[in-house]
Amino acid sequence: MTFKIGELKTDIATLKNLEISLGRVEEEWEEPLGPTPMPSITSLRRWDYKLLQRYKPFYLPFCDLCCLCTFGKCDLTKGKKGACGIKMDAQQSRIVLLACCIGAATHTGHAREIVEFLVERFGRDLPLDLGDQVDLEAPNIRLVTGIKPRTVGDLEDVLDYVEEQIAHLLASTHTGQEGDPIDFESKVFHAGMLDHVAMEVADIAQIAAFNFPKGDPNARLAQLGLGIVDINKPVILVIGHNVIPSIYIVDYLNETGLKDEVEVCGLCCTAHDITRYNDRAKIIGPISWELRFIRTGVPDVIVVDEQCIRTDVLDEAAKIHAPLIAASEKACRGLPDRTYDPVEEIVEDLVSGRQKGALILDMDKVGEVATKVAIRLAPERKKFKALPSTEEVIEEAKRCLQCGFCQKACPNSLPIPEAMAMAKEGDLSKLAELYDYCIACGRCESACPSKLNIITMMVKSSEKKVKNEIFKVRVGRGPILDTEIRDVGRSIVLGEIPGIIAFVGCANYADGGTELVEMAEEFLKRKYIVVASGCAAMTIGMYKNDEGKTLYELYPGNFDAGCLVNVGSCVSNPHISGAAIKIANIFAKRPLRANYMEIADYVLNRVGAVGIAWGAMSQKAASIASGFWRLGVPVIVGPHGAKYRRMLLGRKEKRENWYVYDARTGKKVYVGPVPEHLFYAAETKEEAMIMAAKLCMRANDTTKGRAIKLTHYIDLYKRFYGKMPDDIHLFVRRLADIPITMKDEILAELEKKGWKETEIPDPTLIEELVRVKEE
Amino acid sequence: MKFEPYQTAEIPGPLKAIPVERPQTVAGIIRNAKRPIVIMGSKTFDVVPEKTLRDIIQISKQVGAEIVVTGGINKKFEEIGIKEFKSMPAMELADRLRDPEWKGFDGKGNYDLAIFVGFRYYYGWLILSGLKHFSPEGFKTLSIEPYYQPHATFSLYNMKIDAWSNYISLIKESLKEKR
Repeated sequence: MTFKIGELKTDIATLKNLEISLGRVEEEWEEPLGPTPMPSITSLRRWDYKLLQRYKPFYLPFCDLCCLCTFGKCDLTKGKKGACGIKMDAQQSRIVLLACCIGAATHTGHAREIVEFLVERFGRDLPLDLGDQVDLEAPNIRLVTGIKPRTVGDLEDVLDYVEEQIAHLLASTHTGQEGDPIDFESKVFHAGMLDHVAMEVADIAQIAAFNFPKGDPNARLAQLGLGIVDINKPVILVIGHNVIPSIYIVDYLNETGLKDEVEVCGLCCTAHDITRYNDRAKIIGPISWELRFIRTGVPDVIVVDEQCIRTDVLDEAAKIHAPLIAASEKACRGLPDRTYDPVEEIVEDLVSGRQKGALILDMDKVGEVATKVAIRLAPERKKFKALPSTEEVIEEAKRCLQCGFCQKACPNSLPIPEAMAMAKEGDLSKLAELYDYCIACGRCESACPSKLNIITMMVKSSEKKVKNEIFKVRVGRGPILDTEIRDVGRSIVLGEIPGIIAFVGCANYADGGTELVEMAEEFLKRKYIVVASGCAAMTIGMYKNDEGKTLYELYPGNFDAGCLVNVGSCVSNPHISGAAIKIANIFAKRPLRANYMEIADYVLNRVGAVGIAWGAMSQKAASIASGFWRLGVPVIVGPHGAKYRRMLLGRKEKRENWYVYDARTGKKVYVGPVPEHLFYAAETKEEAMIMAAKLCMRANDTTKGRAIKLTHYIDLYKRFYGKMPDDIHLFVRRLADIPITMKDEILAELEKKGWKETEIPDPTLIEELVRVKEE
Repeated sequence: MKFEPYQTAEIPGPLKAIPVERPQTVAGIIRNAKRPIVIMGSKTFDVVPEKTLRDIIQISKQVGAEIVVTGGINKKFEEIGIKEFKSMPAMELADRLRDPEWKGFDGKGNYDLAIFVGFRYYYGWLILSGLKHFSPEGFKTLSIEPYYQPHATFSLYNMKIDAWSNYISLIKESLKEKR
């Protein structure tokens, strides 16, 4: 469809002779088109520059070199230029952009695969019905592209746009293209924004097609953990992120009456999504549980789709004599393509061990082969002992040379030699202790000159703990309901709900996953809205209180103060950014359609939301975070997140950086450093919690709201650091901002700093949003 | 092995830290700084024995260096009776150290030598890399961790904790002798 507009006046700009083509979409959306439909890689550059003026990149190079072309290697140390003229800051931002393009492309490829599959199976007209309480079904898509998708087929146009933009972004990383670090950073933001669009495509398509929960706060609880599998049944393990193969396994079991006979359990986001589809499916855990679970020998067959699957999964499966079925073109694993072979032949080859695995790209066939192989193999495999005995672990430990290579290879520098020294004396307690802090990457084993199976030894030493890993997680509920936004929008924008804390990302924890649970519980008790997705949502469920309950059993699943929302898998993250967008549109009535800059300005200045990606590891996590940054939502990562190579940091003492326009008068008003940073790697969970509470402050907070937010910030600071923070004067605007219970203490601090009252404006960074200009 | 990065895959270069074998040399580096600062990370209490911690504090007193703690170890410092220190998150501090306009904690201007100890290896590695590439002319970093930190300007080498404690103690003694 083509729009032709003679003149379009918006708050942001006046556009003349605008002609916009929106592909195949039958457009019936009455909301006028905003200023930036399907923005190009520079359309929002102005907004990005505003953000990057405040939040300057601090680069932490991984490497002194650039090795991307044959001019190099080039030494970029301390201001030196490469052969193409590039300098270290631009090179680092270029690498960040590459990472974000990988992340965005991965979700886009995932979304394209889902949409193509659904169009082929159900036709382009399959409606995108997200339930009767979700009218705003695609906030990111509508905001960015200007398309209001009604059917799965409409999503093809959205993906056409995203794919084209990713190609342009990738092109800009070529030698001799972009050379300015800030322009690279603007493109990083663009990649992130596209990523949220692509993820939204994937998730709303699968919710609509497979009838996943449609924003249900009371979505049921699924079983979670290594101890939940019924090992007396044949076990199919699914790993990855694209749920379609798993759905066909479950459907086959249902259709053949075998649903009670076979266990289906999953790792990573495929596990999240299969529990959204089927009430019998189970979640083993996040990516770090992959090696552990395979090493138990429990899976009879392993089915992998795409993303975050160990690339040595074929070798690991072979070690436990479990065949591997690869079901994605993107990860063929070197396996023979058996897509067009008869089912019985494939089953025979896998059961007999003639082939270690098979690539099968026909989903019906995946379901049938996986089931038949599991049922045939299970009786024999149950006799097979994958884990060593305790005596064998002790004997193995005696082969340890105490060379320390394992500890030097370990990302968390765990004291494995010490644990081995104790184990060879018969004490396995240290190995069991390390289990809680190990991310099970296996680098220690690769480094070990004695070829010790260190992960297996840890799992065996923790056997009792492993068997008790029986938890519950609320199934991913998908979108936030429009009605919930109406209920809480006001309290969030005025600051009376202290903030939204979103726990997202992977499981690369520096000090174990329990830290994440502690943080989530802290904010739940403080009545923040706590949201979770992906591996983080699983980790939050992996802890029980004294009464044996997980946080999902203790806190309701509503999008409300003191509630815990699991939106679902990685591709469910846009329901979190979407909630912020919905607040601007549904609650504040800001125009949504193709109106990115105004909505992001609204979120930055009014919606106290912060992401915590405590174990972020992947390129996808990088692009997800960058989508939040452009929308004005800060993200905190754990210590390993420093390896993303750059922070986006504000300088609170530089007063000139913290001015906004008062939209009522046009006057420039100092609002303090709110939010202080956009991207920040904390050293400890305590630091992260204090920072998250601080980053929830926004320029628009009412005095009551600011007092509530300050209460949490100061209380956390005092609890963990034992004193008052020294920057309170930057966050108190009026005397009424001061929490009553801390009045004397704070007044004393303010007096020391020579504090003076400041105004509370109707804040915006965008000049055109000023309603009345000051004379 | 002495001057190899402690974590296997953290390969540095071309510009690597100057390894310092003798405590007396370290004492000289510290003594020659006009405005040194000592930065103690969140792992201080996991890695540094209390005696060594007190030696480091003594060293900073000997040369008039401010102590800054990061990652929220303030309370533990106070618990062992140490009161004179500043605190700031490590990333915020590193961001300021690279800024020639920063006035420091005392308002007298930025520092010329930042001494690091008590950090996770990779976290310290990255901060030191950021400072290596983007700090002002004349600014130097010294890692006094018990292992080689290749992105510092100067670094100690990989050693066992006992040997390291002794090394730190000798820095203190050396500074005392030359006062």
